[in-house]
Amino acid sequence: MNRVYLDHNASTPVHPEVLAEMLPYFAEVFGNPSSIHAFGREARDGLDRARERVARFLRVSPQEIVFTSGGTESDNFAVKGLAYARGTGHLITSKVEHHAVLRTCQALEAQGFDVTYVGVDAYGMVDPDDVRRAIRSDTIAISLMHANSEVGTLQPITAIGQVAREHGVPLHVDAVQTFGKIPLDVDALGIDALSFSSHKIYGPKGVAGLYVRKGTRMVAIQHGGEHERRRRAGTENVAGVVGLGKAVDVRARDMHAEAEGLTALRSRLIDGVVGPVPDVRLSGHPVERLPGTASFLFRHVESESIVLGLDLKGIGVSAGSACTAGNVEPSHVLVAMGVPLDWAMGAVRCSLGRTTTAEDIDYVIECVEPLVRKLRQVMPVGAA
Amino acid sequence: MRYSPTLVDHFLNPRNAGLMRDPDGVGEDEYVGCGDLARFFLRVQHDRAVEVRFQTYGCGPTIAAASAASELCRGRTVDDLCQLKAEEVEGALEWLPEDRKHSAEIVAGALRAAARDHLSRGRRGV
Repeated sequence: MNRVYLDHNASTPVHPEVLAEMLPYFAEVFGNPSSIHAFGREARDGLDRARERVARFLRVSPQEIVFTSGGTESDNFAVKGLAYARGTGHLITSKVEHHAVLRTCQALEAQGFDVTYVGVDAYGMVDPDDVRRAIRSDTIAISLMHANSEVGTLQPITAIGQVAREHGVPLHVDAVQTFGKIPLDVDALGIDALSFSSHKIYGPKGVAGLYVRKGTRMVAIQHGGEHERRRRAGTENVAGVVGLGKAVDVRARDMHAEAEGLTALRSRLIDGVVGPVPDVRLSGHPVERLPGTASFLFRHVESESIVLGLDLKGIGVSAGSACTAGNVEPSHVLVAMGVPLDWAMGAVRCSLGRTTTAEDIDYVIECVEPLVRKLRQVMPVGAA
Repeated sequence: MRYSPTLVDHFLNPRNAGLMRDPDGVGEDEYVGCGDLARFFLRVQHDRAVEVRFQTYGCGPTIAAASAASELCRGRTVDDLCQLKAEEVEGALEWLPEDRKHSAEIVAGALRAAARDHLSRGRRGV
């Protein structure tokens, strides 16, 4: 059976060059990077080199990079770190953020902070003027994602960055889905803090980072040793960080060429699904979107049944709505976009990656139409 | 494996799916938690379900449970179907993961409702 992985927004396989660079850091270079002896210094060298690689990629100073355990920790660190540095005040985010930001903001609300959740348009895009209107005299931070992981829409961060700068409010950007996929210039975009992850860009899981612009008022949220310049306590995941550093180098080399190929494959997929299959449409912005992400809404079909049907054909995609322990709600992103329930419940995301081929896409297209047709035969509306 | 081979087979090749013209009993059940829905149609002769058809809206296990139950219930008495339990539907699929038990529950509920509907019509088709 063919095996086609179209869930790269969830995770990616470790690149062979990344794995090769990581391997010595498990058993040979095993010291604690905080130790002053040679064993520790060797590990520290690996850590430093990775930090320099990430900094070079973002065109920032290595001292502005903090390594963390994942995108969720980076988001928690940024949002809470900015909030706790002031102790009280108002934050702005959007209704379509990843739960790592949304639930962190909700936790801050429970602690007395005020939060405004700005809405989005039908494409999932935030209006910079809405952000401007939401700013108050006590606004202490803005946190918005660069690209939405579910529908792929890119946010107008440049314009939002300008708004933030005009008002002197620090801007955190969750760039977990864009870092290493499309060009990112934190200065041009007006970003003060930026979350990024390793396993979305062919690096290992369990490691990520946060860029924090020098001078940004932010406090640590994890306490202990003096690691990461006292900003994030805990012995660093050296092998993971080395892998992240190498992954970033590989992305710097391959990103541009890959984005072009992915965009072409994405269009091939969209054309092959929207049209031949009745009552299906693309969600998210048609142009301002991640190169490899195509999210579809299949009307009157439940998304998990599509995911299961494709899984049985060897295809890995993800459902926009997940039924967990008998509870299912349409994606908060689609709800914020105003997508009607009969479309939102049939949301399926395909996210392509560097090894995706035209043959893979054609196989998926070949499988989707008969599956959806068959599912609609048993579903009440489709059969009625 | 998360799902049994029997479940996968019923999902891929659902038996008895679709509408029934002039059924002798119709029943529906919905799982409020997730919006999964099952609707069953019965054709009854001599107090027995001689034809069972269904429609579902839901995840793969719900489709499979409905298909398996449609085979399970054909030929059984209406009174028997009024007592149908979710465990029996689940058994027809070998097993269901803990977070998909509701698939069997709504299918059994819809079949019980269809049987009761038939009885409420005064056993037309007997």
